[in-house]
Amino acid sequence: MSDLEAALDIAFGDIRRLDDVVDREALKEICRSFYDLFGLSIRVLQEDGALLADVHEERDICSYVNTLTAGRKACGATVTAVKDDVPDEGTVLSHPCFTGARYMIVPIEYQGHRIGRFVLGPYLPEELTRVPKTLLKLADVDRQEAQRHLAEMPRVRPETAERVVAHLRSILDVLLHSSHRAHLTSEMHVRSVRAGYRELAEKTSKLQVAYDRLRELDRLKSNFLATVSHELRTPLTSIIGYSEMLSQNMAGALNDDQREFVETIHQKGEQLLTLITNLLDLNKLELGSATVKTQAVPPRALLEDILSTMRPIAAAKNVELALTLAPNLPPIAGDPVRLQQIFFNLMENAIKFVDEGGLVQLSATPDELGPEPGASGRGLVLMAPVRRAIAIRVIDNGIGIPRGARERIFEAFYQVDGSSTRVHGGAGLGLSIVKRLVDAHEGTIDVEGALGEGTEFCVTLPASE
Amino acid sequence: MQLDFKARELTIKLVYYGPALSGKTTNLHAVHRLVNSDAAGRLMTLETRDDRTLFFDLLPLSIGATKGINVRLKLFTVPGQVIHASTRRLVLQGCDGIAFIADSRRSETKANQLAFLDMQDNLTENGFEADTHPLVIQFNKRDLPAIRTDEEIDRLAAHGKEPVFKAVAIRGVGVKETLLGLIDLTVQHLEERHGLKEKVGVTSADFITAVNNRLFREAP
Repeated sequence: MSDLEAALDIAFGDIRRLDDVVDREALKEICRSFYDLFGLSIRVLQEDGALLADVHEERDICSYVNTLTAGRKACGATVTAVKDDVPDEGTVLSHPCFTGARYMIVPIEYQGHRIGRFVLGPYLPEELTRVPKTLLKLADVDRQEAQRHLAEMPRVRPETAERVVAHLRSILDVLLHSSHRAHLTSEMHVRSVRAGYRELAEKTSKLQVAYDRLRELDRLKSNFLATVSHELRTPLTSIIGYSEMLSQNMAGALNDDQREFVETIHQKGEQLLTLITNLLDLNKLELGSATVKTQAVPPRALLEDILSTMRPIAAAKNVELALTLAPNLPPIAGDPVRLQQIFFNLMENAIKFVDEGGLVQLSATPDELGPEPGASGRGLVLMAPVRRAIAIRVIDNGIGIPRGARERIFEAFYQVDGSSTRVHGGAGLGLSIVKRLVDAHEGTIDVEGALGEGTEFCVTLPASE
Repeated sequence: MQLDFKARELTIKLVYYGPALSGKTTNLHAVHRLVNSDAAGRLMTLETRDDRTLFFDLLPLSIGATKGINVRLKLFTVPGQVIHASTRRLVLQGCDGIAFIADSRRSETKANQLAFLDMQDNLTENGFEADTHPLVIQFNKRDLPAIRTDEEIDRLAAHGKEPVFKAVAIRGVGVKETLLGLIDLTVQHLEERHGLKEKVGVTSADFITAVNNRLFREAP
């Protein structure tokens, strides 16, 4: 049997040849016990005629006819004919012998396929009482001797023969089933171990390549970060420190113009430091190396904390802050430090873009993270996650965002007003950090509100189960 | 599909896939009980431990001669446990259609999703087009508490691509519908992709009629 045929047989759970699955010794034992029980000879043949089991004893009549030349010839012809006579599926053949005896030829079927046959006999039909003509017409036959030998042959009634056949068939079926089962089990075992080994070896080699590459990249990244942080921050710390000392008159009194200039240097230095810190942060988030340590964060405590942090900045611009919390909110599954960062950035933005005397509202309501609107596709019914969530909105009545700019505001360095004369400062990193942080929490962020109508940011974060 | 022109015989392989303990073997047992006894062969279970399938279950069904061609169905299950990945891939070889048996309990949603992704991967690995291979989904264990609601499943099923059935396999509910749905889809696919009608002269309609008559004919 070719490898391909063997693979197909396993894939379809089929048997091609009887001796692929059946244990010859077990088959012989079964035939032997049948012989002991019923005194009938049994031969089991494969579909191609090969003999798998043979339990028989030569009958006296057979020995007798084989002593005669014509008898020997006739016996050989009968045995060959019986061997070559193949019954159709589902039918049992009864093959006569010239001595008056009979053979039963029964197909062995498995899962609707004929894969062999068994031959029962010879035996004498119950109804035979005389020496048949086919035997008498042989040259040199002695009628009395033939009669005597025939009388010693086992006699079987048709219904008994049928019962014996049915019984042997059902036993062979059980044997085939359990042999096939054992065969498939061992084949599956070998094949899954082989497949498992091959897959593991492939994965290990891929992992090794990836690991080597990552180690190299990691080394480069660490170098880069170390350089950036050292080369930029060190002189900047000096700039900030010395300008601060200057503004505190530590190097002698300054006049008003000098103080204003030095304070500007100090303030811009601080801005630059924040920018560098943000850039490093963004870098980490993009590389996925920023850690998000998820825990259950109560929304009330989080948002009240944010509000109290923002109050001085809001008060300086005379902006009113309001907080609305729906009852029975579940805790958020998030990193408290990163959540602070998200809402601090959003609140800071909102306060920056409202006019004096404006209003910034913070609200939290229960929600669901479900499939995207209009989503469709294979496995959606299984794949669409339906999770409990909390929607937190930051709403301002400021200048709003033009419709066309909404998709781009989460890009790093993007500014809605990119002109050199723009009123509001910033490097355009805040919202991109927010977006990446929300993504890292497996949440979503949306923006609403047209130009001149204020802005509403809605952050939906998964609830802690 | 295995087509033996000499013997005029067509064998179609259907696989019950899904996460551990979602009821794949239970479905096969129920099919075995529900179909006419002369059409079903012996149900074979290959190695189990603690009620869990280690390799696969196999149920051969015989549709008999349809327009001169003998049709056989082979129903397989895969082992659900994550560690039997290579066995699942082996069982999927030569598979013509899949019934994905999902556990309806809300707590099992993640396990269903992981098994589904695993199935898609394994289909691709076996050289099938993962997005078009015949697939029906069965939400089993509808009799248990804390399950995904009918409304929720119906709503999502309306957006999804594949037929969705609800079942209590242990009581035989929805098992026949799932199997017939799978056969219908698989045969249509074989006709479209492999010219079943041209090759063997049997249309999908002939096929479904034969399946209904032979497998689920009421006893006289």
